[in-house]
Amino acid sequence: MGNTLVVIVIAVLAIFIGYNFYAKRIDREVIKANPKRATPAKMYMDGVDFMPTSRNVLYGYHFKSIAAAGPIVGAITAAGLWGWFPSLVWLTVGVMFMGWASDYSAIVVSVRNDGNSLSAIAHKLIAPRTRQILLIFIFFYLLLVAGAFGNLVAGVLNNPIVPLGIIALAGLGLLTGQLLYRAKMDLIVVTLIAVGGTLLAVLLNAGLFGNGVVDAFTSFNKWLNSFAPGGVTTVLDPTAAVGKQNIVVTVSFVFWLLAMFAFCYAGAVLPIWRYAQPVNYIGFWITGLTIVVAGAGAFLAFFVHPSVATFKLPAFTTFLSTAAVQKSGAFQPLYPMLFVTIACGAISGWHALIGSVSTARQIENEEDMLPVGGGAMFSEFTLGLLALMAVAVAAANPRLTATGKFAAGIGNFLNVFGLPTKYGTAIGFAAFVVIVITVTQLLFRIMRVTLAEWLGDRAPIFRNIHFSTLLGMAATFLLVISGTWVYIWQLFGASNQLMASLSLLVVMVWLVATRRNATYAAIPGVFMYVTTTLAALVTAYNLYATVFSKSVGKAGKEIAVFGSGVTILIALLIVVAAIFIAYDGIRALQRYRKKPLEVAPEPVTA
Amino acid sequence: MSEQPKRKRGLGNIFGTAKEVMYGMASHDMSRHALRTRASMEHLFILITMGDLLGVPILPPYYSLRLMPYVVPQISTWKRRMLRERDITDSLG
Repeated sequence: MGNTLVVIVIAVLAIFIGYNFYAKRIDREVIKANPKRATPAKMYMDGVDFMPTSRNVLYGYHFKSIAAAGPIVGAITAAGLWGWFPSLVWLTVGVMFMGWASDYSAIVVSVRNDGNSLSAIAHKLIAPRTRQILLIFIFFYLLLVAGAFGNLVAGVLNNPIVPLGIIALAGLGLLTGQLLYRAKMDLIVVTLIAVGGTLLAVLLNAGLFGNGVVDAFTSFNKWLNSFAPGGVTTVLDPTAAVGKQNIVVTVSFVFWLLAMFAFCYAGAVLPIWRYAQPVNYIGFWITGLTIVVAGAGAFLAFFVHPSVATFKLPAFTTFLSTAAVQKSGAFQPLYPMLFVTIACGAISGWHALIGSVSTARQIENEEDMLPVGGGAMFSEFTLGLLALMAVAVAAANPRLTATGKFAAGIGNFLNVFGLPTKYGTAIGFAAFVVIVITVTQLLFRIMRVTLAEWLGDRAPIFRNIHFSTLLGMAATFLLVISGTWVYIWQLFGASNQLMASLSLLVVMVWLVATRRNATYAAIPGVFMYVTTTLAALVTAYNLYATVFSKSVGKAGKEIAVFGSGVTILIALLIVVAAIFIAYDGIRALQRYRKKPLEVAPEPVTA
Repeated sequence: MSEQPKRKRGLGNIFGTAKEVMYGMASHDMSRHALRTRASMEHLFILITMGDLLGVPILPPYYSLRLMPYVVPQISTWKRRMLRERDITDSLG
């Protein structure tokens, strides 16, 4: 039977072996990181984007940039579908052989190509159209992330023990921006006020001074739901128990979804210093403290409370689909679906994008590329494992949702230090929402910029920040209320992993073009490409078989038909985009095999 | 480039590393955004004062000439940032 200590030992071994015996070897023998070579941060230093930065600072920055809800949600969803053991294996093998390679290589390629982004490098090395396709791909990818995250946040906020902490976060975020940048108050004082206030609100909602707040939110939700007792619509959840798979989308769910949009709207249109940044800053302390203390609790639990440390979730359910999933008509085989359900903890395309446009431009010394890129990815792996442990120790109650199990697991780990479980669970919920919502607000900001860049020249209205933000939110809203959450999540996972394989393709082309051994990038790149393309097709089939075909032509099912139809189209679009990019990539590979890139002499610092 | 400060040994080194990592996680992006905002303002200032360089004569050349010494140190950075090719993914950073 599994327990937290076993997982922690596996994690330590995986990181030690993967980093020291594989990653360092690639860095030394294939990439040949040279501390004397001038990096773009030094060559093009502008004090803003290009700025040599200490490796420790950059490691923290890169980890913070890549750590979001992906490793948490993916691990808890996959553990529910196939058991904790396959999730553990994929997280471990994925990060050891693929995840670090993707993150690290994206930084390497950017550093060795004047700090250009992956899309700019693809434009230069592969083909001009590759960049255009990649940009279209990224927009739909952002939409899917927003849809998957929006659904999660609304679902958790609909729980009456959660909202006050997030409302406080919004208010204190505005206050923090004002105090820091206008009143010029001391950072430590502002941090204490903001983080303390948010934590107090979380605990108040959990019943610190009685159940008044919980009762108030419960009554409010009931009052909202009284407007439409049958709900707004129903969506399928193939992972739920047989007979309970038609999930009602309640009015209160829609209200909290809109509340989340209001939160993100402020983050997308207000100056970044006034709201988005302070909210992220407070969120960092809430989630950081929770993760560190819960991680320590998971380790100590084995010695202090062995019953808490023991996994209650089955180690393995089935290779094919569970009975409930089969009953729904869906098809969820472990291969390829596990590899897209768990995205960021094992390998992620998002990391490659961030690494190439941001981290790579601050690398001071080529020897920092591995500790920053690879090191941050190995750290994110531990976040995925923490989520997996939390859900595995708290599975006794089948009524709990996946997020509920995660929060309950965090509550158990915090209980090791004497914090009552109900407060620990509330903190687990709050930390989860904070980590998701802070990323979601930035997604809408990026979507707004993307729309303005894309369509702003043709239709000036897209340059209007309010219009483009609301448009992104309207699309996300439709996706959330009409879609099946698990399919949206898996489609997000497929596009995310496909992005990782495409970034590895760019890396592979660069390695071949510069006459290096491309095997370490080629094997994970091809594996992820095939797996994720298959997964996107399986998800499109699942949507068709379980939602579209069963709803089309039926009265009252128009939203489901529209939503599933659009999502199927997005899935197919992603696959087509990936095929085009791979075709161009293979042609580029053939081209560079015949005639490698002519490389300029290395810029070297004194 | 200036000389790197000497690393402390033992506990001091561990504490210093932890401090830097913490700063990187909590505040580095805030510093970057502040710098970016300042850079945008400076670029706007250069555009207004030295617009002639781009064929946008906003200020009479007399005043441009008077302001020239203050702008000269920024010009190479300004040129690099202005000429740098960008796409949507740059907004992620």
